[in-house]
Amino acid sequence: MERQVTGIGIGLRYDLATELLERQPGTVSWVEIHPENYLDRGGRYLEMLETARRDWPVVTHGLTTCLGAPEPFDSDYLHQLRDFLSEIEAPWHSEHLCLGAVDDRFFHDLLPLPFTEEAANLASQRLTEVRDLIDKPLALENVSYYAPQGTDGLAEADFVVEVLGRADAKLLLDVNNIYVNGRNFGFDPKAYIDKIPVDRVVQIHVAGHFVREDGLRIDTHGEAVPDDVYALLDYTLRRVGPVPVLLERDNNIPPLDELLAEVDELWTIYRNATEADDAG
Amino acid sequence: MLADRAKAIQRVCFDSEPSEADLGVLGSRERWLVYRDLVRTRITGVIEAALPRTKAVVGDEPFERMIGEWLAGGGPKTRYYRHVPNELADFAIPIWKHGAPPWLADLARYEITAWSVRHAPPNPTPEGDFAFESRPLVGAAVQVLRLDYPVHQRPTPEARYDRAPIILCVYRAEDHRPVPQQLNPLAADLLDAWQRGEETVADSVQRVASAHDTAIGPAFIEKLSTLITTFIERGIIVGGRGV
Repeated sequence: MERQVTGIGIGLRYDLATELLERQPGTVSWVEIHPENYLDRGGRYLEMLETARRDWPVVTHGLTTCLGAPEPFDSDYLHQLRDFLSEIEAPWHSEHLCLGAVDDRFFHDLLPLPFTEEAANLASQRLTEVRDLIDKPLALENVSYYAPQGTDGLAEADFVVEVLGRADAKLLLDVNNIYVNGRNFGFDPKAYIDKIPVDRVVQIHVAGHFVREDGLRIDTHGEAVPDDVYALLDYTLRRVGPVPVLLERDNNIPPLDELLAEVDELWTIYRNATEADDAG
Repeated sequence: MLADRAKAIQRVCFDSEPSEADLGVLGSRERWLVYRDLVRTRITGVIEAALPRTKAVVGDEPFERMIGEWLAGGGPKTRYYRHVPNELADFAIPIWKHGAPPWLADLARYEITAWSVRHAPPNPTPEGDFAFESRPLVGAAVQVLRLDYPVHQRPTPEARYDRAPIILCVYRAEDHRPVPQQLNPLAADLLDAWQRGEETVADSVQRVASAHDTAIGPAFIEKLSTLITTFIERGIIVGGRGV
């Protein structure tokens, strides 16, 4: 039976797993994994997953079935993914709205799509195709990007909404990505949030990012969550309601207590925002 | 249009030098060079994690150049980040075989074997117990490696090795670390046969012993029994496949 995913989760990463799994902090309500890191892999990763599943619901977030690649999907991989998601009882799966591979060559990074009709058409078709094959609800995630893709920063929000509508899809809303893009391209992140159809949001990501000397913000997941991102999360939760929130930390992993302090901060925001929502 | 743009992104990220024509197509030249740097840094990071001693011997700049030459072939074919170092190793080891020091290729082969064993799939489920009348089942995280130099001994990068051919079984231990176990040639050939799993244990023992001109007497049986016990204890043999 699928367990309910609510409140604050944390990304299960190798460098923090040992302490996290030993301590099983009660403030962490669920964990998220990247299936590519676990598929067809034994050893420590398998042990981590099995231990995590005893304590928490596990949500999956894909890295390589990006929705903007022009080539056909690897159906063998998608069938493997479907079996894996079923086995670990993932309540839904998410993938990035980006370009991750060309001609079966993988960037191992998330490259932006242009905010065009052609890209929206392709991404929505691919999203539907993946969703059908994995037999799970599929959410797309808005990505951070560094090279301008539209005439207006908020064109990205329109693009995301267009793809969501065409594919009748769910959204993993990454508020850090919106903040990073807002700062890099000069738009109001709240205006972006205002454009999002709240009923499509199934999950939220928050993370920290790196600010280069030239001011460009890079979505590294290697820094503490900054206050502005906390504030944007608060704004978002007041709009969308009690949607599960994940703290992403992939690099420069600090002691677990530092991450748990961020989890506590997220809980405070979550409770304040969603209780206000209940009262409203 | 999207496909053309995607190909331009691929060339900008992976070509030895990004072309101004591609950067012009994509626009925002400096920002696409940021992407090139991000993509290449991430790929380089996992390769360095897999081959730290090889990198130390080769040197930072030549190692990075080798990665660059490999990437210029179009980029990684694998979707699995952990398999990226294996693709670089497949490209670079034939080149390092002809390089200096003479044990460089063996060192890279050893490191990539240990990396592969660490990240290998879970063990298959045996159909039965290990038995002489059955085909054996070897764990998924086991590789036999024949080296000309004993590079599994971990010296400083400056240390040298004298040529001394050695055969290793690299297996994933209970704590998930890759561990090398030295094998003699007969034991290595037996393990090769058991990994293939085409013959029963009895048939493979007879064939391999014969190939090594070794009589199957009490001394051999005793050594074979010790070898099998060790393999089972270490999870190298996981059971049998049935006849």
